[in-house]
Amino acid sequence: MRILCLLKPVPDVDQLRYDRERNILVREQARLLLNPEDATAAATALGLKRVAPETYIEAVSMAPRGAMPHLEDLVRRGIDRATLLSDPRHAGSDTWVTSRVLARYLSTQDYDCVFCGTHTLDGGTGQVPAQVAEVLGLPLMVGVSTLVELDPRARQAVVEVEGEAALMRFSLELPAVLGFQYNAEHKLPHIRYADLTRDVSERVAVLGNRELRMDEAELGLRGSLTQVRRIEADALEAKDPLRLRGDREGIDQVYHWLEQKGFLQP
Amino acid sequence: MKRMLVYIDEEAVDDSIKLLEVGRLLYGDQGFRSYALAAGGRIGEAGSRFDCVFRASHGPVPNYDSATLARCIETLHQTYGFDAIVVPGTHGGRMIAPRAAMRLRAGLVADVTGVGLNGDDVLMVRPAFSGRMLATIVCRGGGPVMMSVRPKVFTYLEPALKTAEFVEVDVRDARLPGVRLIERREQAEARDIRESKVLVAGGGGAIHDFHLLERLAKALSGMVAASRKAVDLDRAPRTIQVGQSGKIVRPRLYIAVGISGSAPHVAGIRNAEYVISVNQDRHAPICSLSDIAVEGDGRAFLEGLLERIEAPRTKIHGGRE
Repeated sequence: MRILCLLKPVPDVDQLRYDRERNILVREQARLLLNPEDATAAATALGLKRVAPETYIEAVSMAPRGAMPHLEDLVRRGIDRATLLSDPRHAGSDTWVTSRVLARYLSTQDYDCVFCGTHTLDGGTGQVPAQVAEVLGLPLMVGVSTLVELDPRARQAVVEVEGEAALMRFSLELPAVLGFQYNAEHKLPHIRYADLTRDVSERVAVLGNRELRMDEAELGLRGSLTQVRRIEADALEAKDPLRLRGDREGIDQVYHWLEQKGFLQP
Repeated sequence: MKRMLVYIDEEAVDDSIKLLEVGRLLYGDQGFRSYALAAGGRIGEAGSRFDCVFRASHGPVPNYDSATLARCIETLHQTYGFDAIVVPGTHGGRMIAPRAAMRLRAGLVADVTGVGLNGDDVLMVRPAFSGRMLATIVCRGGGPVMMSVRPKVFTYLEPALKTAEFVEVDVRDARLPGVRLIERREQAEARDIRESKVLVAGGGGAIHDFHLLERLAKALSGMVAASRKAVDLDRAPRTIQVGQSGKIVRPRLYIAVGISGSAPHVAGIRNAEYVISVNQDRHAPICSLSDIAVEGDGRAFLEGLLERIEAPRTKIHGGRE
């Protein structure tokens, strides 16, 4: 069985700082981390490989070159191969372009299933899994909370989705695209000590547009169908809170505040 | 006259209909003809809200059949030439909209929280970087403007009354096999935290205190909510998770106990009128969003406040005995 995992390194949003004077988002100091839902997808794939060692997993990421250490780490954690789609011409790509680049690479590969996270922390549109599925003409399910079964012989995946009103179980014809929901139980395994410095260069590759051969007019900002006109810090004003201690006096004050605002029933 | 299509998700019919507000904000009440795609069969009040309602002619097409519905939207667009296509940000809508946008070669903006016009350009505002930033986005290219909108972000208070023309759409040629629903277990009917005026939320610092949160929520006629951490630790169901990956809420009062206030969480509560936070750490990010920031132990606070709130009633009760 061959699984392709789509992964994105994202800046840790809690470390982003907004520079009000220059009106820009300072991303430099923010460390990159593997998007948590993508990590759930990769960890789920590795879980299958533990049960069925012949499972072949390839990680695919469209990102700047700086993402390479993340992909190398994934190989050290047990993923068979990692491919970074990286080209300066990709800069500024929206989901339309990104999905087409990813799908372009996927269309050259054999696979039974595509795993990815449903959302990313940074852009968070959740559009890429569906758009990749559409370009490739594949069945799709996002928000997957549990992978019940993946049977390449029967060409079928069974998944569960915790919906608003119901828990639903779907079957999908393979190959399919599955978008996972974050699941704290599916964590990537630690890198074994002996593997920390293992040379994995034979198992990673970088492909640029020279290899993918897409029309340059369809890439990056130029090829995007959406354009960011303005980006600004949300006008949410920091409040100057009334600071209280959690002692009797503080609790009293909260009680009176609630009473005064009408939150306590008479 | 502009034309706007709204996808009606059969599991969120009312919320889907309310997306008409997007058309009203952009084009004015009289400025557009409204179309509803109600392929899932349930139409609610759509018949008296839209100018035209499309239904599937040979049995409903469910919201999880995103490939078929994307083709259906494409076919309708070829006939009607919509200026805007608006899809609710439901589980199904989030699969259908991107697929349809891909087929229509249209730019798509997700989780739109505001719209406006700049000349002929439709401006769409959405949160980015887990709600830290607001991005104003325009679509380019020749396709329609497409957006997905989270439920209950726009309110549509005074609907214009209409008598819809019903049009049957034959989707048999567009049908793709691939996804089948094999089992559905209804979750216990629960009130939606987005409907509650008061929310008492617990996070990583309150995972052993949810029974106290329940009591406080009850005393304030509100509901319990949770941060992602509490959900991940199995202390609360995902349906009550607040934040970017959970629900966007707008209560009058939000009490956050043991929640530090990561950016994704804060994104979910920015529309709360009042926030009271209880935290050990006086520098927790949620404090700068709070009207009252209580520094201290969550459990002690909850017990103390409950004692204070419940005390008078206990006395009356005792007096009757």
